[in-house]
Amino acid sequence: MELLQYSLRKLLGGIPLVIGVTLVSFALMVYFGPDQTYLLLGKNPTPEQILEVRQQLGYDQPFITRYLGFLREIVTLDFGAASTGEPVMDLLAKTMPVSLILILPGFILGHVVGLMMALAAAYWRGRWLDKLIMAIAVVGMSISFLIVIIGFQILLSSSDGLDLFPVRGWNASTFADYLTYVTVPTLATMFVAVGYETRFYRSILVEEMSRDHVRTARAFGLPESRIFVRNILKNCLIPIITRIMFSIPQVAIGGALLIESYFGIPGVGKATYEAIVTGDQPVLKAVVSLTAILFVLVVILTDILYRAVDPRVTLK
Amino acid sequence: MSAGSLWGKAARKFARDRLGMLALAVVAGYFLVAVGVWFGWWASGWPDLTGSKWEPVSASHWFGTNVIGQDIFDRAIYSTATAFEVGLVVALAATALGAVLGAFAGFFAGSWIDDLIVWVMGVLDAIPFYLFVAAVAFALAGNDWSMHAAMIATFWVGTGRLIRGEVIKLRGMEYVEAAHSIGVPETTIIFRHILPNTSHILLVQASVMFVGAIKAEVILSFLGLGIKDGMSWGLMIDESTKEVLAGFYNNFLAASVLMFGLVMAFNAVADALQDALDPRKVS
Repeated sequence: MELLQYSLRKLLGGIPLVIGVTLVSFALMVYFGPDQTYLLLGKNPTPEQILEVRQQLGYDQPFITRYLGFLREIVTLDFGAASTGEPVMDLLAKTMPVSLILILPGFILGHVVGLMMALAAAYWRGRWLDKLIMAIAVVGMSISFLIVIIGFQILLSSSDGLDLFPVRGWNASTFADYLTYVTVPTLATMFVAVGYETRFYRSILVEEMSRDHVRTARAFGLPESRIFVRNILKNCLIPIITRIMFSIPQVAIGGALLIESYFGIPGVGKATYEAIVTGDQPVLKAVVSLTAILFVLVVILTDILYRAVDPRVTLK
Repeated sequence: MSAGSLWGKAARKFARDRLGMLALAVVAGYFLVAVGVWFGWWASGWPDLTGSKWEPVSASHWFGTNVIGQDIFDRAIYSTATAFEVGLVVALAATALGAVLGAFAGFFAGSWIDDLIVWVMGVLDAIPFYLFVAAVAFALAGNDWSMHAAMIATFWVGTGRLIRGEVIKLRGMEYVEAAHSIGVPETTIIFRHILPNTSHILLVQASVMFVGAIKAEVILSFLGLGIKDGMSWGLMIDESTKEVLAGFYNNFLAASVLMFGLVMAFNAVADALQDALDPRKVS
């Protein structure tokens, strides 16, 4: 009951955020965005035709009327049809799963490998292994994502390299196909994430390991593995949850944009980027407002998870 | 600056950090290259056609030539100046914006000013970065500064949050209370008494954002949203995406290696700064 009340209160509190995000994106992408009038017209249109199309698109309406119309579409989840004629919700239903199975393996592996490297670094803190791992992390952080992608492509997909995987494209009809197409993007995503994740995990692990209660537990002769799980890892859960949860909206849409446009993979990121370039407003409206709503949900869910892992946190 | 001050101590700690000093020297070297480009001492011939298509490395073309016969070495050197221009403009403007807005939010925490600024931060956080940059670029209709504007508009948020938290701590300190009680105006308290005490955070944040801006430029240039007028490592790498599968790597290697050197050195400087300035940081 307390949980339900809390969630409802938080949902209401998220409304200003959704309004803000939709307002900014409406102003930037739709109001000041590319003018679509001439895309929909043939060659040499008459002034009347131009006027008619502008009326259809709502360009003759004042800002506030158009924005309210935009909000109404969000509330009813009816975004209309994309410029290709396909309903936007169908387009999203088609592209969203592609983005998810594309980005998830790299995201998970980045966190897992980062955590393992951080554990080794924190355990041998100050020794040569720690220094080596942290040096690798800084190197990883210093290489641009695009350079990593091109590098892996040369190494694994070109005739000068191992030539094991397809250069670009996407096919997930069978699991074997999926594996051949997902490997290079996954390695690139993982490589870029590992540097940041290692530093993040090491800093929180080191902080928790140097607490007094850990020293006390050690003095009582508790086994190392138990100290690690109960006294260290459990206390690290809050920053870990924060980091993973808040990367979800970015991973779901933003993170896939570069990979998808580079490899020509038909996911949400590519669809959104194309919509921005061509000014395909229904798609933009849907993606941006759904991201904002996802963000608000993530904030609420994160607070509830805090409560689950830390009894000191109250839902007020 | 007295020897016992935070800055004096930090400077001595930094000077003892050999890796940090080495990285600082590398950054200074890059900066000299950029200054030379700005004064026209070298690489001013980057747009000239001085050879034929895809010439290999030679004495006259140190890194070879690109697809239309321009000298890759000159282009890579010229791009160093572009990187500093993008990094400095974005880092300075975003730091200033984050400092001022963060300080106002923190100083007036609990009031509508704070609510408004925190709301703006939340809104900017909730929009995916590349979508936002793309949207700004198209809204500004291909203006030369649209990329800078978009980065500044998003990068300040992180600094703003840190400064807000620090200012909330500082505004309860006795010296601030003392300033209040003798009637110092609030803006003077914020800018003269509180903000200078957050400058160690600002310095580290500025160095982090400098790196962030250079890295973002590469990806934005590939997406066609980057530098419009001039040459940059991002544009060179974008050009190279069409060449590497044909087995021509000079563009890619020249831009990647030069960029990696600067970003790596700057990351190391940022780490050393943080070690020197943050007494709480455990390493």
